[in-house]
Amino acid sequence: MTSPGEAEWVPGRLLYRGAEADVVLGDWQGLPAVFKVRKPLTYRLASLDQEIRRQRTVHEAEMIRHAKRAGVATPFLYHLDLQASTMVMEYIGGKMLRDLAGHMAEKDVEGPFFKFGEGVARLHAAGMMHGDLTTANVVSREGSLVFLDFGLAHRTSRLEDHAVDLRLIKETLVGAHPGISRAALDAFFRGYEAKAGTPRFRRVRSQLRNIERRGRYARVA
Amino acid sequence: MKSIVIGVESTAHTFSASVVSSDGEILSNPKSVYKAPPGGGIHPFEASQNHLAAAPSVLSEALRSSGVGLSDLSAVAYAMGPGLGPCLRVGAVAARTLAASIGVPLVPVNHAVGHIELGCLLTGAKDPVVLLVSGGHTMIIAYSGLRWRILGESLDLTLGQLLDQFGRHHGLASPCGRAIEESASRSNHYLRLPYSVKGNDVSFSGLLTASKSLLDAGASFEDVAYSLQETSFSMVAEVTERALAFTGKKEVMIVGGVAANKRLSQMMSAMAERHAAKALSVPLEYSGDCGAQIAWTGVLAHGSGIEVPVAESTVRQSWRLDVVDIPWRG
Ligand SMILES: Nc1ncnc2c1ncn2[C@@H]1O[C@H](COP(=O)(O)OP(=O)(O)O)[C@@H](O)[C@H]1O
Ligand SMILES: [Mg+2]
Repeated sequence: MTSPGEAEWVPGRLLYRGAEADVVLGDWQGLPAVFKVRKPLTYRLASLDQEIRRQRTVHEAEMIRHAKRAGVATPFLYHLDLQASTMVMEYIGGKMLRDLAGHMAEKDVEGPFFKFGEGVARLHAAGMMHGDLTTANVVSREGSLVFLDFGLAHRTSRLEDHAVDLRLIKETLVGAHPGISRAALDAFFRGYEAKAGTPRFRRVRSQLRNIERRGRYARVA
Repeated sequence: MKSIVIGVESTAHTFSASVVSSDGEILSNPKSVYKAPPGGGIHPFEASQNHLAAAPSVLSEALRSSGVGLSDLSAVAYAMGPGLGPCLRVGAVAARTLAASIGVPLVPVNHAVGHIELGCLLTGAKDPVVLLVSGGHTMIIAYSGLRWRILGESLDLTLGQLLDQFGRHHGLASPCGRAIEESASRSNHYLRLPYSVKGNDVSFSGLLTASKSLLDAGASFEDVAYSLQETSFSMVAEVTERALAFTGKKEVMIVGGVAANKRLSQMMSAMAERHAAKALSVPLEYSGDCGAQIAWTGVLAHGSGIEVPVAESTVRQSWRLDVVDIPWRG
């Protein structure tokens, strides 16, 4: 996978190939755009498959809108093609937090990870979870963070669901950025606490500890 | 040196004993399966009565047909859990008695680990993503850092429970997997049912309710059985695919009673192909609960020095797979 900001914008270039979707650069009425195409999964019955891909496309678009309304930066949606299960959105030129973090010294983590925490707290306060909070799904553009990939997001205010979001962040930091994970997580938690308020932060974090004690969500590296 | 272990399985509806050698030869594997009354589920106490009555003959058959004498045994393995309390206790008592009387170590085995390790033995899988689907489990598993780790699972019913409860609603006797597969193969008329994947997990309760309602509303059993299979198997294949993409492993193995379903293994093969991974299925005879899974894992555990003093050889009704150390893969 290439970081979107590092390479120049070339229409037709495949940015990413996942289990579910291809992400391709393109042009939308003269604007640099990203096409997220949910490909058919041929092992599923065609009619079922088509319906699931359509629903997920609609759902992801709804979740992006909801996040934007909550004050979280997300790509602008240009177009939905439900026939082709394709979402066309603004191209975010920037660096994935994952790649930034790869070159960070411990002292540099405060800014971006504090903001990361604030953004996630905003999503949670708006009654949603992101569902796939890895550092590959957040892009830093001109010093602010843009959240991507709402394919697994849903509306929920359950403590457990919000703690699951934090769990994945923690796993990603420890697994992919071990050198800075402690400092990054500290900054993340402080940002989260600043937006969510101390009581809510404490409750989510204690739920996170419960999840960890249950031994579920164990990472396989 | 070659060692020989007898293993006793009695976690749920099956009582089985098997003799396996350390070079992976299964010398015997007789079983007795408790059959629930039509329309009814497994009753733990009645199942345990079945096991109690069957234990002596199953054990002596396991020894007799293996051609191995008591003095050739190096250890007795038993399924310590997870499972139904009354059933587990029958197997534990039988194993304890046998081990004490011949003076060999007693080896505790986790039933789910047993499914996986026997699967690896029989399919030749080295480092697979495992889909464990049975009456007791629905989990996506992979090995990392001394343990089999759970990457995804059902948040409510297991796939086996989904099929059984659906079949029983129609008056079938559980386990109903085979009857449902047979009926499903006679339809290709898909009725829309709820598809619920949440991240790496699945949920089947809404699907069960909707399927029962369709039957109650007069839909044909074949059509609903077909639609239920297509929906639930697709969900399971999707989360297995996520695990495969995430771990980058190159083998997918299906184990557990539902692994016997041909449509499921066909779907898994098609999924694996997308990732240039190999799809492996355990042969029918060994996909469901059996003594061989306990005996073979007993061989591995015994080789790593795992045993339990008779005084501490209790049963563990809920014993999670991901807390069990697997030193033989370390
Ligand atoms: N709007 C966008 N602008 C720039 N890059 C993007 C955009 N959307 C996706 N990407 C890139 O494509 C990758 C995969 O997209 P994502 O929506 O996360 O798909 P998936 O659900 O398959 O993970 C992202 O990690 C990011 O690098
Ligand atoms: Mg992504």
